[in-house]
Amino acid sequence: MVALSEILDDLVSDVDGLFLFTPSHSHYERFADLDVPTVVIAPENTVEAEPFVELPLQFQNVKDRIRFGVEGAMEQNIVEAGDDIACNVGIFGGDPDSVVRVRVEENMRSGIYDLFANSRADPGVIRDVFEVAIELGKKGQKGEPVGALFIVGDAGNVMNKSRPLSYNPFEKSHVYVGDPIVNVMLKEFSRLDGAFVISDSGKIVSAYRYLEPSAEGVDIPKGLGARHMAGGAITRDTNATAIVLSESDGLVRAFKGGKMILEIDPEDY
Amino acid sequence: MTGFVAPLPLQPVDTIVTRIVELVGLRFIGVVAVLFVGLILAYAAGTAVQRLLIGVGLPDAIEGTAFERTARDFETSTVEILSWLTRYFLLGVTIFAALSVAGVNYADRFWNLVIAILPQLFIAIIVLIVGIVVGDKVELLVAERFRGVKLPQVNILPSLAKYTVFFLAALVALSQVGVATLALIVLLGGYLLGLIVLSAVAFRDLLRSGAAGTYLLFSQPYTIGDEIVVGDVRGVVQEFDVFVTRIESEDEEYIVPNARVFDTGVGRIR
Repeated sequence: MVALSEILDDLVSDVDGLFLFTPSHSHYERFADLDVPTVVIAPENTVEAEPFVELPLQFQNVKDRIRFGVEGAMEQNIVEAGDDIACNVGIFGGDPDSVVRVRVEENMRSGIYDLFANSRADPGVIRDVFEVAIELGKKGQKGEPVGALFIVGDAGNVMNKSRPLSYNPFEKSHVYVGDPIVNVMLKEFSRLDGAFVISDSGKIVSAYRYLEPSAEGVDIPKGLGARHMAGGAITRDTNATAIVLSESDGLVRAFKGGKMILEIDPEDY
Repeated sequence: MTGFVAPLPLQPVDTIVTRIVELVGLRFIGVVAVLFVGLILAYAAGTAVQRLLIGVGLPDAIEGTAFERTARDFETSTVEILSWLTRYFLLGVTIFAALSVAGVNYADRFWNLVIAILPQLFIAIIVLIVGIVVGDKVELLVAERFRGVKLPQVNILPSLAKYTVFFLAALVALSQVGVATLALIVLLGGYLLGLIVLSAVAFRDLLRSGAAGTYLLFSQPYTIGDEIVVGDVRGVVQEFDVFVTRIESEDEEYIVPNARVFDTGVGRIR
């Protein structure tokens, strides 16, 4: 048993912070008088922790989850580059079951936290669109895989850099993402070509939009199709965020500032 | 008095009854009978009310209202409370009927008063309960109706509707038991008048913008993405709600109250 706890000792020796991912109340209490900062990263602050980083999506990829937490903590100036932190995180299921030692580095700023917290659109709106995209990716349209392109935020400029492919079904309607009926509507309209344009506050401005950005200097992986290119490019031209569901591989990708920020598999959620 | 004592013969039943009546008095029998019948009636009526209420689907209709939830906390339900109220009411009537049969007539006037007020009290309690339940239900319905409208301002409407119903129920209940409610009505009138005058002064601009915004939302003369001119502000519409329109130009974002859109008119740039 001695050797086993030594492994853990090595992992947690001289850390500058402890990151607890979705801890239960009693679990959090146990670390109350630790002499290093304890950061709670969870979808909801149920333990009334301070500091706290809100997790908008339960990232199934643990790397993404840790990256999000570290970035959020860096943003709040709790940790800085060069710090070593111990992350208590649940890999299988919800309860924390492992300890990961991570060195905070400046290049860990992949933009995942930035994507949610500092986008032009409200964080809740981005989360809602993600959920819609994940749901669409999981179920598809009548069993068939579908692709979809959501442009979130800065809707005025996006509308001016795009043109309608057909009549806009959302004209003069007041529909917001997150409304219960919307998932069904978006699912139906996702059969049609073109992009959904969603405003900062989550109002669905238009469907059927043909985006006309200039594709200069867009940095997206080769092999992705026209939908991703259009989505990625419009985020360079405007302050919008693009959330793309791929028809061919079924992944959900997010673009901001012309760069791909996040790639998740809907099947994991 | 012949001194002859016959062996005790078997007496016919009606004689026994006569004997008992002689023994305990006709009145007592009447009282017991009334009480007995009244008890059965009260219990049956309560059960009937319960069946009826469940039959018309009341428990489903009031599911989730505060009154029902409070009742649940006390391990009962609105239907049960109503059926017990019916039972107690009938029980009360029975007791008074029994008392009058028994010929208890001391403090007659006091009991007359009580008898006179009892049905009204009963109705008042029913009105109160119905008022509370309906008020809760109205709140839920209004809240549901406005759920699609993502406006924090509308959150006040459901509770406003609820308390209006509460107040009306209380007024009806109080007037039912004969409490003078004129003062309350005057109070309500004065309060409402004050509120209207105050809000008309304080929220003038908001109300004006809200009225203009309602028209703008319904007819949408301009929409997100249009370039418009309002007064000396020119830019692309980014967002609009009931109160304001957000317009963004090259490097500035303006938040224009919708009232201004109506005052100065709006120009759309093609």
